[in-house]
Amino acid sequence: MNAKPLNSKQLLMEVSDFSFAFEEESPILNQLNFSLFSGECCLVAGASGSGKSTLALCLNGLYPDTVEGETKGNISCRSQNIADFPQGKLSQSVGVVFQDPESQFCMMKVEDELAFVLENQQAPRERMQEAIHSVLKETGMLDQKHALIHELSGGQKQKIALASVLLMEPDLLILDEATANLDPMSSFEFTRLIQQVRQKRNCAVLVIEHQPDDWMDIVERVLVIGKEGTLLADDSPDNIYGAGRPLLIKEGIHIPLSYQEDRNVHKNPPQMHGEKLITLQNVSFSRKNKSILQNINVTFHRGEFIAIVGENGAGKSTLLQLLARLLTPESGNVKLDGIPLQDWTERELRRISGYVFQNPEHQFITDTLYDEVAFGMKLNGEKEIDAKVQELLTAFQLEQFADANPFAISGGQKRRLSVATMLDDTPDILFFDEPTFGQDAKTTKELMRLITELREQGTTIIFVTHDMELVDEYCERVLLLLEGKTAFDGSPEELWSRKSLLQKARLRLPYSMRKERAYGIVN
Amino acid sequence: MVSSINPSLKGITVLIPGVLLSFSFDIYTPLVFLIFMMLFTFLFSGIPLKKWLLFFTPFIIVALGFAWMTMLYTSESFAGGEHLFSIWRFDVTTGAVMTGISLALRSLCFITLSLLFILTTDSTKFMLSLMQQLKMPPKLTYGILAGYRFLPAFRHEFHILKQAHRIRGVGRARGIKDRLEQMRRYAIPLMANAIRKAERVANAMESKGFTGSHNRTHYHYMKINKKDWMFFSVINGALVLTFVSSYFLGYLNIFGIRVG
Repeated sequence: MNAKPLNSKQLLMEVSDFSFAFEEESPILNQLNFSLFSGECCLVAGASGSGKSTLALCLNGLYPDTVEGETKGNISCRSQNIADFPQGKLSQSVGVVFQDPESQFCMMKVEDELAFVLENQQAPRERMQEAIHSVLKETGMLDQKHALIHELSGGQKQKIALASVLLMEPDLLILDEATANLDPMSSFEFTRLIQQVRQKRNCAVLVIEHQPDDWMDIVERVLVIGKEGTLLADDSPDNIYGAGRPLLIKEGIHIPLSYQEDRNVHKNPPQMHGEKLITLQNVSFSRKNKSILQNINVTFHRGEFIAIVGENGAGKSTLLQLLARLLTPESGNVKLDGIPLQDWTERELRRISGYVFQNPEHQFITDTLYDEVAFGMKLNGEKEIDAKVQELLTAFQLEQFADANPFAISGGQKRRLSVATMLDDTPDILFFDEPTFGQDAKTTKELMRLITELREQGTTIIFVTHDMELVDEYCERVLLLLEGKTAFDGSPEELWSRKSLLQKARLRLPYSMRKERAYGIVN
Repeated sequence: MVSSINPSLKGITVLIPGVLLSFSFDIYTPLVFLIFMMLFTFLFSGIPLKKWLLFFTPFIIVALGFAWMTMLYTSESFAGGEHLFSIWRFDVTTGAVMTGISLALRSLCFITLSLLFILTTDSTKFMLSLMQQLKMPPKLTYGILAGYRFLPAFRHEFHILKQAHRIRGVGRARGIKDRLEQMRRYAIPLMANAIRKAERVANAMESKGFTGSHNRTHYHYMKINKKDWMFFSVINGALVLTFVSSYFLGYLNIFGIRVG
């Protein structure tokens, strides 16, 4: 399916017969052949572990120099082999914005980080102020010039990462899952910013993304990389997501929502109003004299599936921690099953409730998957532990890793294990703190299937998330926090109709609700 | 303002009295210098008095503790003089009391000097100055600077980890064996994440064109000018004057040997 270049633009990068392998391992990238042209916007699609991020680092020359790895074949930039570029020069033509907003910087202040880039290029000091000013203006971050980077939001950090790359005036801009760790609104804003930058600078853009929905109106070409690291397809989005769809499904690659016309969302799960399970009365909480939650009054019922949503810093995680008694409210009271939460014994409380953290690794305490699942059962003094552990491992498709170390399995498997460890005794209530954050589509889907099953067995699910698609598809009730107060408590459908509220809370409508609107943004 | 003094030279300036004073075992020398340093701090450092006292006060207790211990355990060579009193099995002499007080004063001098440096120095500028003035390799400089950013994240992660383990039903550790096991449980995820993050930061820095070479321009151009040398001269001049006056007044005592 090797298509001709879509237009007769100038050749920028040429990858010929390129393979890359870490020492003594099977190749991550295998015999790749493709070209990138100046000014085009190209998407690299592929399942987890297909070497997409490795490709980014090979294109900007970091690999194989910085790792023990072997390459075969060639990559050239403007007809010059990249191996012949002097150290530090290639990264100026090929700039990368990485996934994790927390680990892309080495300086404390925005201004200093940008200066760091200019210093690396040995730009004269007199010109730095002007360059920093203009790139901050371009990315809309001028007000943050003197801000501390760690105090910025994720979306702002990514804009600073972009600004520092733009200072090098790259011909090719690689976005290596740059929006995967952002909330939907920030992610959308970032894609719009890239569109502006591209129009102004006419640089080529290579987008590497698991869920490229927001990029689809800029992407002109799609490269599909398979699990073995080979190039499976190179064509226009319409062809890839049209005729090429069976291939994508086979490879487990996400199909953008805009191409999923036949998408059947099993919306509106049955309303299950059981008895009262948790009641909060006038609950307030503050940290270091800063009020986080004020006068929260909510009742959760048995068997409900509730999403807690809101902007970063609105107090979602704090509320969840209060419900799980990981924090104690400053005033007001929380009752679980009619009994004040503080009167529960630790053991009993942990037995009937579970809490799944954003990073599954934080929950692991033993050396094998088997021990991990058996741990809670041993604490409860259960019998027939062996049979139960096997059953759980099988149900979560982890049986073949029973003796493996929890840290050594894949991201999706870790996610499943973190849920399995909470199920030693079917819990009455499960808390989830953004469990799908930064996960690929397949892991998210699997997790949601598990949660739905648990719910059908009567477990109450309380779920903190940014993802309105999930809220729309699975939840019967949504609690919106705004500046530490409950701003909305009701059904998702009702929330979608409250436009000004959504805008205030920086929430994005789910795709199906956006379709009617021009650009799908509440505005 | 001391905060505008070049950090490298400032560091050297406060290090010299710190080292030299540790040789003087009399009371006069550290006392005079301590009074000078405190006056200097109040008048020229720009550190709010309240903040300074907040940091300084706890060290008074530490210094008194030092003095007390030294008084009781003074080595033979310093423990001369009249026998003053006995506590349990310890005989306290005038020599021991002098040595004790001197040590307390020396510690306070050291604290005052350190506070003058720490409370007026921006950590980033200090590293940049070490690179520009003292030729510290850029790889090390920016490596340490990147490390600063890890600390708050590390603390946050440790907090979450403790919560996660509590949810799993891991009780509070009792006994040494339990504690070691708990440390191991915390260490693995923290280390795993730290290594991953470090690698990501390194990649990001190289992608921004960082090569570790000394050939780079400087946004914050750190230089040493007249004002910096003046600061150096005032502090170390005062030190010399203190020693000289101590010598002529006959108090100076270097390592227990009276030189006056």
